[in-house]
Amino acid sequence: MTGFPSFAIFFKVLMNGVLVGCMYGVAAIGLSLIFGCMEIVFIAQGAVMILAAFCIYWMFTWTSIDPFFGFLVIIPIFLGFGWIMYTGLFQRVAKAGKNPSLLLAFGLMVLLEHVMSLIWSPNTRTVSTSYSASALRVSGIIISFTRLMVSIVALITTGLVFLFLKKTMLGKAVRGVSEDMRAAALLGISPVRVSAATFSIGIALAGIAGVATSITYPFDPYFGFLFSLKALIAVAFGGLGSVEGAFLGGIILGVLESLSSYTISAGWADAVAYVAFLIILVMRPKGLLGRSVEKI
Amino acid sequence: MENPLLEVKNVDIFYGDAQAVRDVSFHVDKGQIIALVGANGAGKSTLLNAISSFNQVRNGGILFLGKSIARLKPEEVATMGISHVPEGRRLFSRLTVLENLELGAYPANTRPFLKKSLDRAFALFPLLKERTHQSAGTLSGGEQQMLAIARALMARPVLLMLDEPSLGLAPIFVRRLFETIEALNKDGVTILLVEQNIPQTLRIADYAYVLQTGTLKMEGRAENLISDPNFQQAFLGLMRAKT
Repeated sequence: MTGFPSFAIFFKVLMNGVLVGCMYGVAAIGLSLIFGCMEIVFIAQGAVMILAAFCIYWMFTWTSIDPFFGFLVIIPIFLGFGWIMYTGLFQRVAKAGKNPSLLLAFGLMVLLEHVMSLIWSPNTRTVSTSYSASALRVSGIIISFTRLMVSIVALITTGLVFLFLKKTMLGKAVRGVSEDMRAAALLGISPVRVSAATFSIGIALAGIAGVATSITYPFDPYFGFLFSLKALIAVAFGGLGSVEGAFLGGIILGVLESLSSYTISAGWADAVAYVAFLIILVMRPKGLLGRSVEKI
Repeated sequence: MENPLLEVKNVDIFYGDAQAVRDVSFHVDKGQIIALVGANGAGKSTLLNAISSFNQVRNGGILFLGKSIARLKPEEVATMGISHVPEGRRLFSRLTVLENLELGAYPANTRPFLKKSLDRAFALFPLLKERTHQSAGTLSGGEQQMLAIARALMARPVLLMLDEPSLGLAPIFVRRLFETIEALNKDGVTILLVEQNIPQTLRIADYAYVLQTGTLKMEGRAENLISDPNFQQAFLGLMRAKT
């Protein structure tokens, strides 16, 4: 194991972890919302993300529109995509129980991966803009410009989701339905509609994470599965049903990976993440921020 | 004669193959307090859940304001003007008191009155006003019951159904609860009350139906039932236990 030669390098590694973690965080919030409301482990989250990444890739390749503009394009499209996916598929399967929903999510993931691979080939793609390689130097520490920008978008997204859940009636209904679907229905709240809205938001968040991926990483059609796993780990870190927790879980995961790939080796980053995941599951099954839910 | 507000006609309800309610009929007239009383497992909650469309009725019908509601979704029944405070209250424990109340006025037809309804809820239960930003899970049992009733009232219901509201409450709260129910009724809310606290219930009810193992055993004006020897014999144990 190597130590850190200087504080600046340690800080750079740490920052890299935080920046990557912000993306995990956004995907994790989507997963957490969907699980909280419908109890579906939406394993296709990563594949949906890569779909968004491909959309941005082609948009950039054909039209040269700046990929950051892609965030604005992807959000409405993926909200609609999510709505269709829920009302067309998951709502129907939900009646049959939770396992069919998980199978459906898994099937959807495999389908998306293979369709993307058939249409666009399994090659690795990179969106390279004029500023892709540029970096900022802040008191001796070099930070990738794109990663920093993407993290800012991730932070804003998280803040907006948080405000949505706390301040809007629909957001409060999402939290209500997540806690007690029956009680919500007794108040005249349609669990189906609220679930559809939640699912759409989850898909849109996957879309945002996908755009962020396309800007900062090379990707291929199968890259998403790993990302789904990472988002799942982030959710487990933060504790289910909390937006702050999921986002923070993503950052913890990013930092953990970044530190271990620097101190041990890149190949070990995933192993460390999974071991941490197991430890958390055993020691604190409700997550680091998980609160115990009092039964009323 | 005017149609009753709620009419339950010859309903049979099953859980799987087991029949929980057998050929029960009753009606609730506007402005009244109607009580469904009986021991555990008599089918009282099953009937309320059938009115709220959580339980399917196999035979018979349920009419609200003359319209059949048996095939509606629970949320559609709720928006028609029936508020149901379920057994165990089912508050959103992680949401604040205020958020619980706001969700009570979620449907589009009640949302415009949110502010007014909130003022009314706080006037009725001043204690909740002091706790607006506290999460509902931290309230005491009595406070939770108040919140559950206040939340149900946010939708400005025509009919309020209360399922064992006194369960698990300290005697002092039970007395206040029944006073509140009476006060609400005087304000014009029709009430369908399911209770095991028979003496208190019959004191405030206009009319009562007595259920036993899924069938209707007796019915009558509350004051007549109390002095009915058959009723006393059947429920002596329960009456003593609860007084």
